Amino acid sequence: MRTLRTFRPLLLPGLLALGSLFAATIVTAGRPADGPGTGSWTLTVGQATPTPEVPLESAPPLPTPIAHPGDASSTGCVDCHSKVDSKQAAIADDWRASIHAKEGVGCADCHGGDPTSDEITVGMAEARGFQGVPGRDETVGLCGSCHANADRMRPYQVATDQYSKYFSSVHGQRLLIANDDRVAICSDCHGAHGVKPASDPTADVYPLNVPALCASCHADATKMQAYGIPTDQYDVYKLSVHGTQLLEEQDLRAPTCASCHGSHAAKPPRSDEVVQVCGQCHTATQALYEESAHARLEGVGPKCWTCHGTHDVSEPDESLFLHEGGVPDYLCATCHSPTDQSLRLEMDRFEDPADRRCDTCHHERSLIYSQVEAIAGAIGGARDAYDTALHRIDDAAALGMIVTDADVAAQEARTELIKARAAVHTTKLTTISELTDAALAKSAAALDLASSKLAESDFRRQAMVIVIALIALNVLVLIWLRRRLHATN
Amino acid sequence: MTAEIQRNEAPGGALGWVDSRLHLGPFIAALLHVRIPADAKTFYLGGITLFLFGIQVVTGTLLALYYSPTPEAAYESVLSITSDVQFGWLIRSMHHWAANLMLVSLVLHLLRIFAQAAYKYPREITWIVGGGLLLITIGFGFTGYLLPWDQRAYWATVVGTEIAGDVPLIGSSLLLLLRGGAEVGEATLARFFGIHVLVLPLLLGGLVALHLLFVHQQGLANPKRAEPRPGRVTAPQPPEKLKPFFPDYILDEVIAWYAVLAGLVILASLFPAGLEPKADPLVTPEHIKPEWYFLAVYQLLKLVPETVGVVAPVALIGIIVLLPLLDRNQEIRPRRRPIAIFLALVLLVAMAVLTYFGGQV
Repeated sequence: MRTLRTFRPLLLPGLLALGSLFAATIVTAGRPADGPGTGSWTLTVGQATPTPEVPLESAPPLPTPIAHPGDASSTGCVDCHSKVDSKQAAIADDWRASIHAKEGVGCADCHGGDPTSDEITVGMAEARGFQGVPGRDETVGLCGSCHANADRMRPYQVATDQYSKYFSSVHGQRLLIANDDRVAICSDCHGAHGVKPASDPTADVYPLNVPALCASCHADATKMQAYGIPTDQYDVYKLSVHGTQLLEEQDLRAPTCASCHGSHAAKPPRSDEVVQVCGQCHTATQALYEESAHARLEGVGPKCWTCHGTHDVSEPDESLFLHEGGVPDYLCATCHSPTDQSLRLEMDRFEDPADRRCDTCHHERSLIYSQVEAIAGAIGGARDAYDTALHRIDDAAALGMIVTDADVAAQEARTELIKARAAVHTTKLTTISELTDAALAKSAAALDLASSKLAESDFRRQAMVIVIALIALNVLVLIWLRRRLHATN
Repeated sequence: MTAEIQRNEAPGGALGWVDSRLHLGPFIAALLHVRIPADAKTFYLGGITLFLFGIQVVTGTLLALYYSPTPEAAYESVLSITSDVQFGWLIRSMHHWAANLMLVSLVLHLLRIFAQAAYKYPREITWIVGGGLLLITIGFGFTGYLLPWDQRAYWATVVGTEIAGDVPLIGSSLLLLLRGGAEVGEATLARFFGIHVLVLPLLLGGLVALHLLFVHQQGLANPKRAEPRPGRVTAPQPPEKLKPFFPDYILDEVIAWYAVLAGLVILASLFPAGLEPKADPLVTPEHIKPEWYFLAVYQLLKLVPETVGVVAPVALIGIIVLLPLLDRNQEIRPRRRPIAIFLALVLLVAMAVLTYFGGQV
């Protein structure tokens, strides 16, 4: 106490100084310079924000398509190769089943030579333009020579930007800059001879098959060792809400790897892109987020992946608000600058889902923490009211009551609850409270309707007992009449 | 003079007023004052079926006052009957359960007649008419099932009419006749309603009258004594023990009706008729199941080729209806008819197994 009295004159100026440090930010987080004590919790943080944009190497000039005699009806190559051995026959079969065969793209379009000749010395002669198997570093240019040609592709109504997109991708850039031909090229995803359109469910590039296709390289520790990137994305994705929806429910609306990373332009989204990337599907949620205090922090504010993760996105619920059983003793330096205690807000992503909570950033003594508590309470209360109404409706339905009107009211309550949950992205307590109040009102209406059904069911059962008693009385009278009749006879 | 005195002493009141004009007394007396074999074991099943038909007529008429047979309004009208109309839920649930019990009692009645060989001389025509009543009752179930116009009703009818469409030779015409178009829709609902409330009741009423007339003319069968055939010498038998139909038998029958009514009230109160979401031709439910009495056919179709699955039940119904003409054995005791009893048991077990597995979807 004596120490406190000694420092009393310094207390107010000290608090003001600390307050001025925090005034620069909307988020009030962390505790005043406790210093990293023993037993403190370390946040495993993802990449820092914003990811620096690296200038791209330009795509090389497009090669000219291979010229050759003959046309799509010239089958000299296939006639011979399908008889060479089973491997060659399989290649010929793959080509016959391909979209290229259907559209008149033959062997010579990629390999050169003369398909009009049945003679190997003529058809595969260098003098006739035979080029053999294209190298991995040549393949993209070879495919691009046709696929980036707008005139050539016009009849098929397909995009012609794959070539330029590819060279903007991580794959293409490594091929260009590091001459690394181990990266994915066109034929790794589309196949070489059996090219199928992406709309074909048997194609590797069909949306349902895309995660496994990407995993064929990215889940291979040997292949990825050279690049030092993780290989568990596919396993994590499969268990995520996106993965289960796509792979188990076969729901083509669910995102594949390509939905977030791009296909031909594949690369990890940067932190300043992620809101836009998620917003491609979650349009309404993105609009709500843009209204939030988080969005106003721009580059340093939390993004979608800060709370929801990346490959491991799970069904969000109220547990995302606050740590259950108290906040771990996080290291101050995670959020605050060790020098001046100002907020750094560099926690772009939390690797451990348990860290993805509001109170990871918003300290329990802060104003915003109490706001988070109020939001969590409002959402939790609305959810509890909705669940109670649903249980009562189930009880009534189990008794054979028709609960259509209660179901409609519950649906309306659910809609309000969903809107309230989505409104959490605005971080505005008043907006959220209005919606949770509406959800509570609708849930109460549903509960009333379900309760009246249960009361009606009780009435029916009581009335049934009375009617059965009356019937029994009638039967007793008839039995008495019968006995009397027999006695008379 | 005596007759005049008796006529003057006819009952007074409304009954007397009517009888003094129509002289129905002797007719009613002829209907009621008959004697039946004391050994007859009917289990009151025929009367119970008739009673349930009466319940259907009454509850069906009440339902028809509120029901709208169009795809736009049918579901809402049923919902309104169940939720808004005073005791509408009871009327609808009674109609629902009485329909099921009517079929059950009809089949039990048929089995009783079969076991006691009451379809044999001289009651062959009575049995055939009864077969017609069975078909009409199934028709009631099939047409009535669609009327609530909910998902189960709609898709069960889609499947049911498709089965009819697989009948060889006439399948496509039959399908068009049932649906009134390519799909189950407004025309289907209109004709199912018309058939359900007009055509089938008239047919059933007519055949029931004929059936009862035949029963009245022939009397109840005695399961212990074969009917003597004309021109055939039989060993002399002791005189048949008889009992009055009215009031003895009728009194027992009414008690049975009361028991059935109590069962109906319990079923309607504890398990009221439900209603699924409104029919949506664009949303096929995960599991489509027909009503329980079509489950055996439904399951059979999964196990055998389509033609067999459709033709076999039709042939079976044909055999059942025409049984008196096919079964020439004059023996009536079950122990002396092992083949017929064995085949019937096999058929029953097969249908029970098919129904069980048909319901496991």
